[in-house]
Amino acid sequence: MNVVGELALWIALPVAIWGMVFGFLGGRERRGDMVLSAERSVYVVFVLILMAALGVIDNFLADRFEYAYVANYSSLDLQTYFKVAGLWAGQTGSLLFWLLLLMFFSVLCVWQNRAKNREFMPWVVGILQGIATFFLVVLLFAGVNPFEKLGFTPVDGAGLNPQLQNYWMTIHPPTLYLGFTAFTIPFAFAMAALFNGRLDTRWIDVTRKWTLLSWFFLANGIIFGMRWAYEELGWGGYWFWDPVENASLLPWLTATAYLHSIQIQEKRGMLKVWNMGLVILTFLLTIFATFLTRSGLIDSVHSFAENTKIAFIFLSFMGSVLIAGTVLILWRLPKLQSENQIESFFSRESAFLFNNLILLAAAFAVLWGTLLPLISEAVTGDQISVGPPFFNRVNLPIGLVLLALMGIGPAIAWRRASGRNLKKNFLWPVVVGGATVAAFLVVGARHPMALATMGTSAFVMTIIVVEFWKGTSARARIGGENYATAFGQLVWRNRRRWGGYIVHVGVVLVFTAFAGKAWEVRIDQTLEPGETAEIPSPLGHTYSVTYDGMSTYQATPTQVQGNLAWQAQALLSVRIDGELVDRLTTEKRMYMAPQQAATEVGIHSVPLEDFYVILSDVADLQGAVAENDPEAQTATFTFLVNPLVGWIWAGGFVLTLGSLIALWPGTEVVRRSSESQGTTRTRSAQPEPAVAAD
Amino acid sequence: MVLALGALLLAAAVVLFVLQPLVGGQSSSLERSDDEMSETEALRRVRLLALRDVEYDFAAGKLDETDYRSLKRELSAEALEALESSMREARGQGSAGLEAEIAAVREAIGRGTVCSTCGHPNPTGSRFCSVCGSPLTAPSRESDAAERDALE
Repeated sequence: MNVVGELALWIALPVAIWGMVFGFLGGRERRGDMVLSAERSVYVVFVLILMAALGVIDNFLADRFEYAYVANYSSLDLQTYFKVAGLWAGQTGSLLFWLLLLMFFSVLCVWQNRAKNREFMPWVVGILQGIATFFLVVLLFAGVNPFEKLGFTPVDGAGLNPQLQNYWMTIHPPTLYLGFTAFTIPFAFAMAALFNGRLDTRWIDVTRKWTLLSWFFLANGIIFGMRWAYEELGWGGYWFWDPVENASLLPWLTATAYLHSIQIQEKRGMLKVWNMGLVILTFLLTIFATFLTRSGLIDSVHSFAENTKIAFIFLSFMGSVLIAGTVLILWRLPKLQSENQIESFFSRESAFLFNNLILLAAAFAVLWGTLLPLISEAVTGDQISVGPPFFNRVNLPIGLVLLALMGIGPAIAWRRASGRNLKKNFLWPVVVGGATVAAFLVVGARHPMALATMGTSAFVMTIIVVEFWKGTSARARIGGENYATAFGQLVWRNRRRWGGYIVHVGVVLVFTAFAGKAWEVRIDQTLEPGETAEIPSPLGHTYSVTYDGMSTYQATPTQVQGNLAWQAQALLSVRIDGELVDRLTTEKRMYMAPQQAATEVGIHSVPLEDFYVILSDVADLQGAVAENDPEAQTATFTFLVNPLVGWIWAGGFVLTLGSLIALWPGTEVVRRSSESQGTTRTRSAQPEPAVAAD
Repeated sequence: MVLALGALLLAAAVVLFVLQPLVGGQSSSLERSDDEMSETEALRRVRLLALRDVEYDFAAGKLDETDYRSLKRELSAEALEALESSMREARGQGSAGLEAEIAAVREAIGRGTVCSTCGHPNPTGSRFCSVCGSPLTAPSRESDAAERDALE
């Protein structure tokens, strides 16, 4: 399998090039046979890449350490589960995995469109295979071939980084990659529309669900990453504005902007150039994210300079996409003119436009903060550090405005909204928001940003609830349905609108959780076994934590437990008002292969807050672990009360629910309804209301 | 040896499968199929949906009566225009159905039987919408006001 796998990569390259060339040529010369040949090449490349990926997994499962990739990311004692996940554990495998997902979506797209949207397909196939060609060139010629051999066979591999041996880390990268690769389809259709000149909203209709799918995967991928950082990295937070995190956030920000701005094009025939620009930008950012995380660039420009080939190929590809996209847009500019103008500052479309500008501002700020250290290092030799304070200072106000727009947008009408109605629609939400702020002030909260976020969240939630209430009660009243049926029918008949609002609820929950950070309690305390620390919660109660003692382990030549060199585990009892609520453990450990220290945290979760404890120091590690001396168990703990953290994960669930509702397959409105073709029927060709655009 | 043979077979199968359309004369279509929306039809759909949105925004209290009336007039005119160009296109293909549809919409707009839930133009005298089943009422000022009040 492994030899066939490598071979498959080499066969895939000419086939992908063939598909790219014949897709474009077939489209230009209008030759259906060439296009069919190109379409078949997509299926072939998918099968070949699948064989290559299975070859890599096979190498992992069979412990073939003669392959550099396996030797670097696996070891004999690694669990089978993580050996399979080894495919995306490191740079080279990730790139192959990226390509596999891309080909999977390409096959889906070609098959889905085998009998429709034919006027787009030659170029779509050409572009998809062009991207596949690029990744194959990277894999085969940039020194990142997962089948590269060491020249000797080590007895055991270096092992997988223990911090990556975690459930969330196994599903986090694939989810993000699904998000990155799914966006390739809207990009391919956008480019195809520029090539064939059909620049109405058709390409947007065809790819709207693809965009949403990509957005949904990106959002979940980001949340999974936060969860991993929170549970595994052991510093008490979930987001550090680390370049890798930022890289995944960037395409999500622009994809969010795009999902909103296409609605203006659909409704009003405006922002056509802008939407094209956003598709190209988002696609470039997905490639950039892959490049940033998988090229070694983030650690330092200098370590990265060792592999200049990969940088050269990536940057040339991104440059070509940018230039080609710009030239195509300029060429089609006459067909991309706006059909309308914004009629009023107070209108849904102007709220959407504002939301777009804000999202792009956020994306730009994040991009700048991520690249600045690298640019400064390249220019001056010194790395300027751009840390969380910069990102928080810039992005908190931006996020707040975005949050407010999420409430304002749905509550105002398309085209124009009159002042009287605005006042009426916003009166109660503003009152509820204000009351929320007042309530927080009364209980002693003073943090301005957090207060603003809480007030705005309440404002947005009220607007969404009122929207649902208006729709449901109208249905119930008009149709004589009971409220539950009316609600279900309401959502079901326009899944796109109401699914979107449910996603908004999820986002509000996440924002509220961010604001909860302002009330975080952090106390460092050194304790002897038997001693108790008192940690006040912002909710009013106090956690009494008793350090019960330490359990230790050290590997000896006769006794080895897994991959652990040693382990010091502190046991703690958590009480509220004298009542035992949980027993937590937190530990420091050292792994053997690779030799690496790690901290495991203890978390006690309730809906409103997490009690989080980190074993930050053991005073006499030698005495405690090596000599197992009961007198040497003095330990320093970091106790944290993290308010509302669980709401991020809850928000993720709600967001998933909303996305699935909006994604749920329905009759696509890309076809004429059958009635309009009959010459004897007089009914209209009006699309089903259930799928009608919001 | 076995490996080389396997590789050769794999490569041959790939080449055969991909080249077959060029040699065997099979081809895939490059035209929009007949039942897919053309640009004019897509425009017509968008215009009708805009009409529906105005109804929804008004019913939800986001538009006041003056704006609602003027927007509805504007959008109806646009929708008719789109329907007419759609008809011109269809006439080229020999379809008479759209002509009747336009007459229906004209009448419906005139008589106010455009469904306020889904925007579907219903024949005169209909009591319920033939697409979504919502009851149809004549858009008298009284009933509009009643509807609005009920929603607030």
